[in-house]
Parts: sequence; structure tokens; C-alpha cells
Amino acid sequence: MPASKRRTPVSQPGMADPHQLFDDTSSAQSRGYGAQRAPSGLGYPAPSASPQAAFLADPVSNMAMAYGSSLAAQGKELVDKNIDRFVPVTKLKYYFAVDTMYVGKKLGLLFFPYLHQDWEVQYQQDTPVAPRFDINAPDLYIPAMAFITYVLVAGLALGTQDRFSPDLLGLQASSALAWLTLEVLAILLSLYLVTVNTDLTTIDLVAFLGYKYVGMIGGVLMGLLFGKIGYYLVLGWCCVSIFVFMIRTLRLKILAEAAAEGVPVRGARNQLRMYLTMAVAAAQPLLMYWLTFHLVR
Amino acid sequence: MAFTLYLLLQAALLCVNTITVLHEERFLKNIGWGADQGIGGFGEEPGIKSQLMNLIRSVRTVMRVPLIIINSIAIVLLLLFG
Repeated sequence: MPASKRRTPVSQPGMADPHQLFDDTSSAQSRGYGAQRAPSGLGYPAPSASPQAAFLADPVSNMAMAYGSSLAAQGKELVDKNIDRFVPVTKLKYYFAVDTMYVGKKLGLLFFPYLHQDWEVQYQQDTPVAPRFDINAPDLYIPAMAFITYVLVAGLALGTQDRFSPDLLGLQASSALAWLTLEVLAILLSLYLVTVNTDLTTIDLVAFLGYKYVGMIGGVLMGLLFGKIGYYLVLGWCCVSIFVFMIRTLRLKILAEAAAEGVPVRGARNQLRMYLTMAVAAAQPLLMYWLTFHLVR
Repeated sequence: MAFTLYLLLQAALLCVNTITVLHEERFLKNIGWGADQGIGGFGEEPGIKSQLMNLIRSVRTVMRVPLIIINSIAIVLLLLFG
């Protein structure tokens, strides 16, 4: 019976079993408490030190509590085992392994990608290197932060035009998220149709598509400060930058064999892939304009 | 532009319905898009058309039963809540 199995390691103060170290303290304490109470409860009448002690000394409720806490621990184990199937937690951790220097350099690259020469992602024994060590690796920190900042900046912009109401924030957020989802699905569908064998995972794609929020934020902020002229100037610059950035990054992923040698792409299959890359890259400026033009008046 | 996630879900449901509804014998065979009509040789990259035909057939096979359930739920919800 699981309750009795749990009671033996807790006879010492919870340190013998390494599994106990990671359980939350409430269940360990209650288990220890319950186990210490059980022998006293069975042997003697309930000590009436306090009403709670009396309640816990009752062997039935004791057993119930031990059973309940063992159930909770089992449930927690089950969730921990299976969470990796639905939400790839370990893979996600890779995308958030960033540091300040990486973020700074990557933002610089997003605004000015023209001088960067080497766009290859470095590998380390078959796994890509963490973003902290390689500026070309995609990360999810910048897109996530940029998305949230975009929603806040949109609220700010609407507020300066007296058009703000709290539910508009949620509307902006879900609208941008819906466009992102649509983009990801469309690109996945076209990658499937063109039978590209890439190592471009879905999360990579989300990361690349999330980089355009940085340009959008820049454009809207400039539009707030300097009016429509500033908005169009900065947005135009960011659009071209994102276009070049996406083409250079996706070229290595989608047109891997051709781009690696540096030869200009030829042949029907490669041409189709080139068109796909250009279409993806061209969609970014369009979406950047579509999602921000109504914010700047 | 109020493009919410709910709208996206509705659009996705309608698109999947569209793909599943294409009848194999009455329609797809007549326009040459039947599932057994496009088998290319091995070792050759399948073109877009055969990928599309494969996709239609797979969507039809996989989503037939779940779509019945999801469509019924959608109908009931739309009737109740408009």
C-alpha cells in the first residue's frame, strides 16, 4: 500500500530519500507529522496538546492524509513525466538561454543586418549551440519580450489619441497572436508542399517570425514622437532590415545545400524554394505595416 | 482589425471541412486528383500536386470522425449563443 511505503523513509526527518528533497515542503511536513503521530495515535489515546493535534492523531484521518499526500505526489510525478510530451519544456529552455550581450548584438543585427558576414549557426556535437554563444541562433526571449512590448506600446499609442479602453489591449494581443499563428501555419503548409528537408523546427519558425515585432515597436515609438513622417521612415528602414535578415537566415535553412556552397540557386526545385523564402520574407514588411498603421495617426 | 483567435479557429474549422468534403470518386477522380492517380516513381521528389493529393487524402482519413464531433459541438454552440 503506497501509504505505508511512504511512511518508512519519513521516519528519519525526510532527508534519507533524495526524492523527498524536491517535493514541496507542505506535503513532506504533513507526511512527517502524520507518521510521527501515527505510532503515538495507535499506542496511546490522542494527546490533547491542541485541537489540531487531536484531529491529526486520529489514525483514520492520519491514514487518509498520508494516502492523500501520496496521491498528490503520484499525480505530480505523472504530470512531470508527461508534460514533456505536450509542451517541450527542455527544448524551450534552450531558446531562453540568452544573456545581455546576445540580446544587444541581436537587436543590432535586426536593425542593421547588412555588414554581418557569417550567418551559419554553430553546432556542437550535433546539437545547435545555445543562443548565448552564437549570435545566429534563434531565441524566444526577444520575440516574447517584443510581443508584450508591442501590446503595451499599442495601448500607449491608443491612449495618446484618446481611443484607449482596457479591452482593446486584449484585442491587440489576440489579433497579433492570431496573425502569428496564421503565418506559422501557412509557412508550415508551404514547407510541406515543397518537400523541403530542413531542420527548421516550429519553434525556430515562431522565433524568426517574432523578430518583426522589434521593428514594429521602433516604428510606432517614432510615430508617437515625430508623427507620420517619423513612423514611415523608421518603419521603412525596419522593413528592409527584416527583409534582408529573413532572407539571409532562411536561405541557410531552406536552401541548405545550395547556399552552403555559395552558388547561385538554379534548377526548378531550388527556384521554388527561393520563391518560398522570398515570399516569407516579403510577408514580414506587409504584416509589420498592417499591424501598426492604425496606431499612428 | 479585430482578427481574434476565435475567428481563426472558425476559419480553420471551415477550411478543414472544405478539404474533407471533397468526394474521392465523384469529384477528385474526374479532375485527375484521385489519391491513386499520381504515384510517381521512387527516388523522385514528389511534386506539389502529389503532395496536395496526399494531404487531401490524409486529412480526409484522419479528420473524418473528429470533425463530426467538432461540427456537432459548433452547431449546438452557434444555435445556443448565436
